Amino acid sequence: MRHFIVVGILTILASVLLYMGLSAAHLMPVAASAQAVPIDWMWNLILIVMSFFFSLIVVPMGYSLVVFRRRRGETGDGAHFEGNTTLELLWTAIPLLIVVSFSVIGARNLAQTLARNPQAPVIKVTGLQWSWRFEYPADSATGLVVVSDQLHIPVGEQVLLRMTSSDVIHSFWVPEFRVKQDLVPGRFTELTITPTEEGSYKVRCAELCGTKHYSMENPVIIQSQADYDAWFAGELEKAKLASSSPEGFGQLLVQQNGCAACHSITGGTLVGPTWLGLSGSPVELSDGTTVNADDAYLTESISNPQAKIVKGFESVQMVQYTFTPDELSAIVAYIKTIK
Amino acid sequence: MKNNTLGRAFLFLVIAGAIGYGLGLGIDFAIRGGLKFTASVPSAFALLFGFTAFFFGLYGYRGITRGLVFQVVGTIIGAALVTGIRALLKREIISPFLFTEPAWVFGALVGVVSFFFGVGVMTDWVKWARGIDTPDHHEDEPGWQKYFGVSLDHKVIGIQYTVTALFLLAVGGTFALIFRTELAASGLDFLTLDLDVFNQNGPQLYNTLMSLHGMIMIVSILLGISGIMNYVVPLLVGAHDMAFPRMNAFAFWVAVPASVLLLLALLLGGFDTGWTGYPPLSSRAPLGVQMFFLGVFTAGWSSILGALNVIATVVRMRAKGMTAMRMPILVWASVATSIIALTATQLIGLSFQLVMFQRLFGMGFFDPSKGGNPVLFQHLFWFYSHPAVYVFVLPGLGVISELLPVFVRKPLFGYRWVAMSSLGIALVGFVVWAHHMFTSGMNEYLRVPFMYSTMLVAVPTGVKFFSWVATMWGGKIETPTPMLFVLGSIVVFLLGGVTGPPNAMVALDLHLHDTYWVVGHFHDTIFGGFVFPFFAAIYYWFPKATGRKMNEFWGKVHFWLMTPSFFALTLGMMFIGLRGMRRRIVDYDPTLGFDGAHLFLTVCAFLIAISILIFFINFFRSIKHGEPATGNAWNSRSPEWQVPSPMPAHNYEVPFEVVGEPYDYGLPGSKFVEFAAKKAGTH
Amino acid sequence: MSNKQQHPNLLSQGVFIFVYLAVLTALEFFVAVTFNSVAILVAVAVVKGALVLWYYMHVNKLSEGDESSHESYAYKSGTNRLGLWLFLVSDSFVFGGLMVMRLSLLGMTRPDLSQTLGFFVTAVLLISSFFMNRGEVELHNGNRQGFLRNTMITFVLGLFFLLGVIIVEWHAVPAIAEPILHLFGEPEGKPLLTASSGPAGAAFFMMTGMHAFHVLTGLILLVIVWINGKKGLYDEKQYPVEAAAVYWHFIDLVWIFFYPALYLIGTAV
Repeated sequence: MRHFIVVGILTILASVLLYMGLSAAHLMPVAASAQAVPIDWMWNLILIVMSFFFSLIVVPMGYSLVVFRRRRGETGDGAHFEGNTTLELLWTAIPLLIVVSFSVIGARNLAQTLARNPQAPVIKVTGLQWSWRFEYPADSATGLVVVSDQLHIPVGEQVLLRMTSSDVIHSFWVPEFRVKQDLVPGRFTELTITPTEEGSYKVRCAELCGTKHYSMENPVIIQSQADYDAWFAGELEKAKLASSSPEGFGQLLVQQNGCAACHSITGGTLVGPTWLGLSGSPVELSDGTTVNADDAYLTESISNPQAKIVKGFESVQMVQYTFTPDELSAIVAYIKTIK
Repeated sequence: MKNNTLGRAFLFLVIAGAIGYGLGLGIDFAIRGGLKFTASVPSAFALLFGFTAFFFGLYGYRGITRGLVFQVVGTIIGAALVTGIRALLKREIISPFLFTEPAWVFGALVGVVSFFFGVGVMTDWVKWARGIDTPDHHEDEPGWQKYFGVSLDHKVIGIQYTVTALFLLAVGGTFALIFRTELAASGLDFLTLDLDVFNQNGPQLYNTLMSLHGMIMIVSILLGISGIMNYVVPLLVGAHDMAFPRMNAFAFWVAVPASVLLLLALLLGGFDTGWTGYPPLSSRAPLGVQMFFLGVFTAGWSSILGALNVIATVVRMRAKGMTAMRMPILVWASVATSIIALTATQLIGLSFQLVMFQRLFGMGFFDPSKGGNPVLFQHLFWFYSHPAVYVFVLPGLGVISELLPVFVRKPLFGYRWVAMSSLGIALVGFVVWAHHMFTSGMNEYLRVPFMYSTMLVAVPTGVKFFSWVATMWGGKIETPTPMLFVLGSIVVFLLGGVTGPPNAMVALDLHLHDTYWVVGHFHDTIFGGFVFPFFAAIYYWFPKATGRKMNEFWGKVHFWLMTPSFFALTLGMMFIGLRGMRRRIVDYDPTLGFDGAHLFLTVCAFLIAISILIFFINFFRSIKHGEPATGNAWNSRSPEWQVPSPMPAHNYEVPFEVVGEPYDYGLPGSKFVEFAAKKAGTH
Repeated sequence: MSNKQQHPNLLSQGVFIFVYLAVLTALEFFVAVTFNSVAILVAVAVVKGALVLWYYMHVNKLSEGDESSHESYAYKSGTNRLGLWLFLVSDSFVFGGLMVMRLSLLGMTRPDLSQTLGFFVTAVLLISSFFMNRGEVELHNGNRQGFLRNTMITFVLGLFFLLGVIIVEWHAVPAIAEPILHLFGEPEGKPLLTASSGPAGAAFFMMTGMHAFHVLTGLILLVIVWINGKKGLYDEKQYPVEAAAVYWHFIDLVWIFFYPALYLIGTAV
């Protein structure tokens, strides 16, 4: 009996200490969204349960190892004790009860996390190898659509992200917002977020998506409504300007579609060939021939990337974009300016 | 094994490897018109030639050598055939990997089938088909040589499985060390973008190594549990062999060409999909992914046929008096595992086949532009791949339950409950798969029921833990090396167990999914449920197989080096995972501040590697130089320890009858089994 | 077990079961082309499957107690029987997975195929199962010639089914396929269903392909059993014949579910 009391006290002590230690360690990153609140609440609850059950097994085990160890010179066996049905029923029934109650709590917790305001503005998100593209609601005055590779949201405003992928599966995750959702080609998935802390974060792709999966990280800026409005006005201005000159339009398209993730404009080799001084220069292809990078070549290489493969880039496959002829010539015009 | 034989084998490996490399270099030169030393074809030829020559040096032109020669020749003939047909149809016939993808796939299939004929595992079946009867018992060669050819003895096959599993463990571990080194600091350190090895740049090579680490370890685990089950289950139930000895041999030899294919996947362009191989990523990955799919598909048959054999053996071959409730727990666990492996494995084979056909014939199963559904793949895949986790751990948990009473000197607490909990885990395991898909975009209403079913697994698992603790309570606990590993596995598996429910809670999983938290969690479950018990089983049954014990001192060094390093490794993984470290990335944002943590994890990984190296040296040295142990090495009640070690070729000379409970330690005068009196004149 | 008095019994039982199966298949076809009730089609398939499982595959033999020594032929055959059934359980997960794939991709639509042709090939496979059963019973009754004759008929029908699927349904040899398809009421110039044309084509080729592969292995087993049977190897030790027969019926069983899934339920696309 004495053994049971000692172990009981030690177990409770260990669980309390373990829980206190774990919660003092602040294991989770900063919580910056309304969705993080129920999730962090659940995390705390789970920490208590984890601490308790870990101690409940480890402490009696450690105690037995010390107290019931075979001492030098001992030869006999342990007590012949085959089991206890009451005890077995008890440690089946109690965990079952805990599991059932956690299921109920978990379902409500999920509902809280996913709660959404039907009037929330919708931002269209496209994942592509290896960047993100955000399309904001059309400007009510001009009807122009702002597209950016950055996600800007005014603090405190709930937005609905309507997401899809143009190639493989990606996953939208901002650790400070907690929630995560895959982007699946051919269908739309949705995620509601309500940022609560101003700051600069990053959306990080959480589903393996190929060679540069690791660098599929774009800025997420949570700012005051005033700052957001200023940014949005600036972007709108850019969109207006872009519609006037083809080079500007091309640069905007390049920025929106994340081309720079693979093609440098400074001369370094990323996943694809650099654009620096590309236009008009000779290009050696994988089949040994050499072509001149004229407009026709550049246009073909964007719309049908596998037609001519540059030597040294046989192992990568560029995303198949669908640009209109106008957009294509704008991008080519932009590439020609990179000298 | 004579040292000069081994020396000759290595010499052959180097010479043939060099010849293969040179030949490949020539072919590669012809294809690309330039010399590239890190190209795919030379390395692939070097691997195939070197591997084959190694076994030729060791064993001569028979058994495994003949199998590998047949596989290489078969692959080339098959690929050449398809290439010829393509030439007639005026299609492309040459790729940077020598053959085109359809040619490689068909060649690889022909190669695998040729291997079976080469190694000789089909000989008896071919004779049966021709109406010729063959004897049930073949006499094996004496000494180490029997392990390199087809043997029908379950003990030989068990050891073949175990050693192959250890080999693959070393290969998979080496891959892990390579990418762990890259991760030690942020930035692309040596796996850079301008690297070009096996037609892959640095990040692609990282993805390949990471993916292969996963799958090679999984195959290693499947072979490891087959090793334990094959060696031990017939001994525990008192059978002279498995129910189907030829199929048993076949199931093992399937794994050899499968392993060759998996290694080829690395050399033939790799694949950047992770072991999960989700389309559309896998339907656009390089050629390597096809070798990977074929390798897994082939290895799957090893698992399926092995499981079939275990169930049939347990149902039909038990000794007299061994009722269901008197079977040793490991036998229960093996049956539970086999039920899953027998059925669910087909689904991973099918899902991979569908992607293969999608690539080869443009069938749009998972291609949205052709009306396919990428999420369907995930359902088919996880229907196996979640229960697979229970395939990995149930035999390990069985080993824990089997060994604990021996070293505690007390009956297993609540035998029936422990036995039934294995079945409970196996059955519940079939209906939890979609918890891997909480963020996948599947139908939202599925999330909550799968959360319920997943949480339910905790109940039978809890029963096991409580029963183990109660078994230890009031015993006379001894702690030789096998027991240390049993204790280690309980604690490590517990850590894996308590870190599971957070993933089951859907809302919390939205944060945890695809992070290092998950990586830490599953390494805990697999180490606790398989790796630690596997080592415990090897230390424990080593004397049964060899008549010698493994060195206790170095065994303890192995344990005390591996356990703390492993704890630090997985706890560190979980910590950075919570803070935002994603899975499967070759480089991480330095502003996250994980550099120090990753360096620490890399050091831990190397410490584990050193401990495993110590184990390997101890293992191979003890075969010859271990302390002799021909009697009941651990003072166990189990039938296999009631006869002298090493075990005779056809197991028990006289059959035994079960007369008591398996774990009645501490009950004076009780016995589990009783051997019939030896009759003069009979064998 | 082997009892001459069962002779007329078992043979006539085979005939009765065949008649049931034939009537049910005709019913299926009728339901499909008239009011197409999925519930009835599923129910009929389940009944057909149960009849094959019980009367042709003798699943009940698995639970037969046998007290003989572990070394006896009867006991070893029992172990082999268990092994075969375990294999079939495993294999049915492949077909189950394919069925899930079909339901997920196509839902309540089906590939646009000639229903009459489907009915015809199904009938061929069903009749082959009848002769397989007959062959097994004949051997059981000690009639080697009867066994060989019936096995040969089974083989020919099976081959006919296999070639029919590959040449006609897959359009492997258009010169033969065109007139036959025309005969079964397919209009001239109808767009072909190909493996890469869409989900219906993918599902159809994958399911029939996997099934055809099993038919092929079944045919090889039948050849082996026929040759060895001719040598008289199975006059006493009959388990290999039982195994080949059970495997053949299993192929039929799979088709009992694939047939409505591919040809009958839902609307054609």
